[in-house]
Amino acid sequence: MNNPFESTGRVKASLNAQKYIASDEIATIVFLAQKLGKPLLTEGPAGVGKTELAKAIAGATGRELIRLQCYEGLDESKALYEWEYSKQLLYTQLLRDKLNDALGKAETLSEAADKLAKEEDVFFSSRFLLQRPLLKAILCDEPTVLLIDEIDRADAEFEAFLLEVLSDFQVSVPELGTLTARHRPFVVLTSNNTRELSEALKRRCLYLFIDYPTLQEELAVVRLKVPELNPKLAQQAVEFVQKLRTTEMRKSPSISETLDWANALVALNAKSLDKQTLQDTLSVLVKHEADLQKAKRQLIAPPPGRGKPDEFGRFSGN
Amino acid sequence: MESRILQLIAALRASGVRVSLAESAEAFSAVDLMGIQHREHFRLSLRTTLIKDARDLPVFDKLFPLFFGSGQPPAMGGNPSDDMTPEEAQMLADALRQFAQNLRQRMQRLMNGEQLSKDELEKLGQMVGLNQTDDLRYQEWMAQRMMRALAFPEVREALRELMEQLKEMGMSRERVEEMRQMIQQNMQGLEQQIRQFAGERIAENLSEQPPSESADNLMNRPFNALADDEKKILQRQVKRLAAALRTRIALRQKRSKSGQLDPKATIRSNLKYHGVPMEIKYRDRTRKPKIVVICDISTSMRFCSELMLSFLFALQGQVRKTHAFAFIDHLESISEDFSGVDADEAIASVLLRMPSGHYNTDLGFSLNDFNSEYLDTLNGQTTLIVVGDGRNNYNDPRLDIFTLMSRRAARTIWLNPEPPVMWHGDSDMPKYAPLCSDVLKVGNLKELIGAVDTLLSV
Repeated sequence: MNNPFESTGRVKASLNAQKYIASDEIATIVFLAQKLGKPLLTEGPAGVGKTELAKAIAGATGRELIRLQCYEGLDESKALYEWEYSKQLLYTQLLRDKLNDALGKAETLSEAADKLAKEEDVFFSSRFLLQRPLLKAILCDEPTVLLIDEIDRADAEFEAFLLEVLSDFQVSVPELGTLTARHRPFVVLTSNNTRELSEALKRRCLYLFIDYPTLQEELAVVRLKVPELNPKLAQQAVEFVQKLRTTEMRKSPSISETLDWANALVALNAKSLDKQTLQDTLSVLVKHEADLQKAKRQLIAPPPGRGKPDEFGRFSGN
Repeated sequence: MESRILQLIAALRASGVRVSLAESAEAFSAVDLMGIQHREHFRLSLRTTLIKDARDLPVFDKLFPLFFGSGQPPAMGGNPSDDMTPEEAQMLADALRQFAQNLRQRMQRLMNGEQLSKDELEKLGQMVGLNQTDDLRYQEWMAQRMMRALAFPEVREALRELMEQLKEMGMSRERVEEMRQMIQQNMQGLEQQIRQFAGERIAENLSEQPPSESADNLMNRPFNALADDEKKILQRQVKRLAAALRTRIALRQKRSKSGQLDPKATIRSNLKYHGVPMEIKYRDRTRKPKIVVICDISTSMRFCSELMLSFLFALQGQVRKTHAFAFIDHLESISEDFSGVDADEAIASVLLRMPSGHYNTDLGFSLNDFNSEYLDTLNGQTTLIVVGDGRNNYNDPRLDIFTLMSRRAARTIWLNPEPPVMWHGDSDMPKYAPLCSDVLKVGNLKELIGAVDTLLSV
């Protein structure tokens, strides 16, 4: 099989080809996870490209991406499988005549029951099994990438259930028996660290912490994803975002927000980051009202007479 | 190499990182796979397999270079006498001859850019008691002592004199300056070598330490008998315990469905049986509690309150809503401080805002604050928790307000580190106690966990 992930260099190159700029660190750890057949747990602030990484891995390996979005209250029937009752019901209704034919010739009640029992398998076959992401990843004929997104949102007991699945990639459906994975999926878990994950889950995974990118990295991402933005403006925009991250905020702007902003600047056909443009577009970048006020106060129009003009004076447009 | 990795793992454990056997085995297979030629790959394979928590990353980053070096030997400036004219070399030799014997030796080695040998470092280390040190905070101090043992300050002084002398003997100013810089660099190289050695040795000593001892024993120790570093250990434990507790409570909340018949759910789930009710569904009777917690954060009660708050905010998922208030002489809402940040930081910021004074705890006045501003947070589904010792400094306990509050709340629970026999003096506990549904003694972490557990078991 043609494997684009045979060395860290190739991992990096093929992720780059998917428009994902992977640092050496990310490439090495992805390579290791793939070689060791371990799930990869990625943590970091929201919007640094954790989910994007899984998509890029899927794209680079040409595998199907199966995504399980976690939320509070997620349970097995939503994550693994469910019997499709309505379809079963419909089939029984439609097949009533056929059933009558089959059962009609029976002499006694017990004979009819025996005959019916023989047909039982029809109704509990994979035909009526509604596959949810986990089962789909296990049963898929091709190797897949399984993305378990925001695992920290799921309940603790779901996490425990997930452990079983992740350790041997098999599930038992009482009516069908045990189903084992034909190919081990490449599993990527993401967490925003809103709560502590269990030790047991962490133990089974390789750990990758993705932090906010450096100026160069972020600039590279912006240049790659929004090539229309002129290079000088891109540089200024990224510098501005990096500056914003150093001020204390309720929510620092993420890379995805930088990209949204870059797109907005392109759409508005902005020539430079002057005061007006900043005022108009800042809400793309900063989502909390308090943060917005703070950013405007500190960075766009610093109050006069507070010492030396800071290095971002040039954004004030005078 | 293997024993070195094992030492690193032991040192990590000694510094409080939890590394399981499975993880260390994983680290070895990762290293097997990636090889050890490429330093960065080697570092990452260890890091990704051993460290599973962003908070532990700095520990790893500090320990790793101590066990596996910083990649290259410290930079030495080179030999200044390499490109000297014969006359200059002669002058240097003359100047050197005028120095005392032992200093000269050291200077000579500095001139040649020689590093210290392993044996010499070993001897130096013994001289300053490096082998008894197992705390990385002493690295710099130990290094300083080793440098002093090498007579670094004297050498530095001598060096200055030597340069003066050379200048007097007529060597050009630039040459002298150049030479001075090179020797300076050699000296820095040596310093770095010593520092590295001290760090390595301390880390090795650290790895021979048993992992941070007996957190379990500490759990039984009364709060007021804990030293500061023991409190830190406990604080770390709280996170882990909260995770265990959360699983237990979550399972309990999920399983205990024994309320009334739920017709909608029953019909829906029995569609598969053609509408014959074979599986009966019940309403979920256990409702996640709403909690209002009022914490005394005066000096005597602070640690207990801190732990309690860390617990409550770690258990967010199992609780519908938490309102937290802190008081010393007046009451403030502190829920905001806890949104999204680490409990430790949140508490630090609260304490910054409400510094504690001397004997100024006033629960009565604080209850009055609560009455006038936050009374509507209490209703029939709320559990009211008070964490405090009930010592009011003879102020008015405002029992009227407390009665009102406990009537509005579904349950009122008081967590007090003092047992009933100690409720005298300025303690208003005997007056408050009858108004509470439960008074639990929480003198140590174990009792606190028990209290939180009962609290959420409804």
